[in-house]
Amino acid sequence: MTFSVDLHTDEELQEGLAKATPPWARIRGNGLLIVGLVIVAASLFLAVFGEALAPYDPQVPTGDIAQPPSAEHWFGTDATGLDIFSRVIAAPRTDVTIALAAAVVSLVAGTLIGLPAGFYRGFGSELIMRISDVIQSFPVFILAMILVALGGRSTINLVIALAFLYTPIFIRLTRSEVLSQRSRTYVESARALGNSEGRIALIHVLPNSLAPALIQASVTIGWGILLTAGLSFIGAGVRPPTPEWGLMISNGANGIILGEWWPSVFPGIAISLTVFGYAAVGNTLEQSYGS
Amino acid sequence: MTEPLLDVRHLAVSFPARSGETRVIDDFSLQIAPHEIVGLVGESGSGKSTIALALIGLVRHPGRIAGGEIIFEDRDILTLDDDDLREIRGRSISTITQKPRQSLNPLLSVGRQISTVYRAHNEATRQEGARKAVELLEMVGINDPERRVTAFPHELSGGMAQRALIAMALSSAPRLLIADEPTSGLDVTIQAQFLDEMWDSVQATGSAVLLVTQDLGIIANYCDRVVVMGEGRVIEDAPVKTFFAAPQHEYSRRILSLQRAEPHQALDDVDSEAGSLVAVNGLRKVFELASGDELIAVSGVDFNIRRGRTLGLVGESGSGKTTVGRALLRLVEPTAGTITFDGDPIENLDVKSFRGLRDRLQVVFQDPFDSLNPRWTIERIVREPLDLHTDLTKEEKRTRVMETLEMVGLSASVAKLRSRRLSAGQQQRVSIGRALITEPDFVVLDEPTSALPAAAQAEIIDLIARLQHELGISYLYISHDLTTVEYLCHDVAVMYLSQIVEHGTREQVFGDPQHPYSRALLASHLYPDPTSRRVDRDVRETLTGEIPSPIDLPVGCYLASRCPVAVPECQTAPQELIAQPDGRKVRCWRITESDLDWAELESGEAG
Repeated sequence: MTFSVDLHTDEELQEGLAKATPPWARIRGNGLLIVGLVIVAASLFLAVFGEALAPYDPQVPTGDIAQPPSAEHWFGTDATGLDIFSRVIAAPRTDVTIALAAAVVSLVAGTLIGLPAGFYRGFGSELIMRISDVIQSFPVFILAMILVALGGRSTINLVIALAFLYTPIFIRLTRSEVLSQRSRTYVESARALGNSEGRIALIHVLPNSLAPALIQASVTIGWGILLTAGLSFIGAGVRPPTPEWGLMISNGANGIILGEWWPSVFPGIAISLTVFGYAAVGNTLEQSYGS
Repeated sequence: MTEPLLDVRHLAVSFPARSGETRVIDDFSLQIAPHEIVGLVGESGSGKSTIALALIGLVRHPGRIAGGEIIFEDRDILTLDDDDLREIRGRSISTITQKPRQSLNPLLSVGRQISTVYRAHNEATRQEGARKAVELLEMVGINDPERRVTAFPHELSGGMAQRALIAMALSSAPRLLIADEPTSGLDVTIQAQFLDEMWDSVQATGSAVLLVTQDLGIIANYCDRVVVMGEGRVIEDAPVKTFFAAPQHEYSRRILSLQRAEPHQALDDVDSEAGSLVAVNGLRKVFELASGDELIAVSGVDFNIRRGRTLGLVGESGSGKTTVGRALLRLVEPTAGTITFDGDPIENLDVKSFRGLRDRLQVVFQDPFDSLNPRWTIERIVREPLDLHTDLTKEEKRTRVMETLEMVGLSASVAKLRSRRLSAGQQQRVSIGRALITEPDFVVLDEPTSALPAAAQAEIIDLIARLQHELGISYLYISHDLTTVEYLCHDVAVMYLSQIVEHGTREQVFGDPQHPYSRALLASHLYPDPTSRRVDRDVRETLTGEIPSPIDLPVGCYLASRCPVAVPECQTAPQELIAQPDGRKVRCWRITESDLDWAELESGEAG
């Protein structure tokens, strides 16, 4: 119920908040969020069980070369005889894992750097922000290519490169929330009660400043999947024959002029759906957080 | 009764709810006669502001007017078409809302906005409109109206924006003025100025006013009738004197309890020889602004607080009273001065040692919701000082928390809740409980009631007084609300522009203020007592002009430019706090001069 009359005083505002719909009720009424959550859940499930569920070994050719989709090979087979369906559902182990790991690393690093940057303003804080500016001003894709080229093509290096790129986003989000939280009276109350500055920052301000970064993390996972696939597509990502969506599109690209659309189209749909799912979750959470 | 100007019958306003509709206003009836000022009071959320809007046929989205009649000058506002409505709105009925800044268009100068409203209802050229705007701004007491008429809303202070809005509302000489908390956010001296003007204009023109307010002082001093709202309908409608003398409804009695209470018993019991607990000498705080200017927030403040006693620090916004409290607790670092607590100097203690003292020096802030960590349960919030300062076991802490909650009048069931579930009054109780759980000797109370609804204010003041009586705590009570200061404080210090201008016992300062500023402040204060109304007295001691900027303070006495008794020397001679024969201190050398005759000033030039 939106009880928008007379929302002048704090008391009324809080009464309004107390009466506000609980989170689960909001989820139930939001189709986009439900679709997003289903996709996110499916991607995480496949990251764990995808390979085990695959009807064929995703890395061993079946012998049926370049077959169109059929009852035997749901998504067809590619030019080397690998089963596309098996590879599409096995790929989240690579794509989602890399993106998830990169998002977690950058979330943790960004929060830990952003907290002091917002809480203690000064030269150090300015320096951190200017470095973030520099990192963010590079085109993401090119910087990722350079980082992988420097470190070598491995899963770990991809995670490091992606985390490096995304950390400034979390620094910025956390810092701006910390800046607004630190001027709240509860922070001054905490000081007056005898908390040390470090304790105020960690115990009081940090938990109240996490929401924007947590919401952003979901969107970042989507971006990370897209970037991982993109890097693999140009040959800067994981090595073949690892099942990976970008790599599959790249391999299948040559066949498209021969009419063999299935090796590229199915992994392409998988990428689109997954990125959409994470972005949908992030965006709807962001909207409900703001209201 | 004369023919009513406004006759509201069975008005209903409803808002969509999860199932069907909620009636926030139901069967609301009210009559207002010409020459009448009617005060509308009621608990927050009772629908006061909804009524103020509905009377001109408006409802906030997504609500609707569900029934009833609003007869104004023989026509039912609810059945009029848009053109006729527009004719009435702004011309015959004007509205002043809260939040002046949000009500002004930020892209247009105030003069332009006033003249637009004026020209919408009067045949006038652009030039005439502009001239009228200057006239109106002058009428509402804005200095230098020719210059201010070109100002944009962001260039005005909150008080000035409110006055511009008032000028706009008055531009068409309305028959009925609906004012929704018109003076919230204004300082008392300026509030008195506006209400005096409103009262004069009602007497002169026969118009009427519906004044929505929570302030019983305003009601008692200016209103002829009081209408109390509860749950969307009128629960009491009485002449002002009857209302204050014999309130009928439970809610009315509750909000009046503060006004009727005698100063707390504890005030007289205290040992007058009690030793000093907190002493402040030469306290000074200067803020460096980003522009490079220095803002002098506090200068040369001295005072003593004795054990078990309360010092009231009063003053208008910007006087530096809040900074004094924060500097005392080292929440801001004082620029200069000494602070003694229980015999020991504490202004130079390093941060860590001071932290160890914080269980004995506590504070309660103004905004109760903002002072509590929104993610924590009440139990954890109240327990935190014990976690920081004691080695009690978990069980012992839990017991103490429950005892403290009971002490501040909260039930044990709130312990598991988060602060947003509580009302503002309950939140402030939590804040007080947290401050008291370590049994401090001294608590700074920084406007603890000013963010609360009227009924909760009275309860919190009672609680504060009772806790002092039971626990022997000393308070520094910072407030602009003189009613609560008089109720709670043994000693009172009046601040104006960073300095204490008068410091004495409560009886001295309230009974016979000496400093010209204290006199003006007390004269502006509206006591909730309809038997001695400001409008019935001829004494209208108001200061003139505006408060000087604290960035560019005058050379001489800070009040000289506004003071009714200033002589040319005041402009150049800085004033010292001078001890008077009766023991109080006053920062004015004029008050002992033989040529100063207050009685003459009050009836003469200052009136």
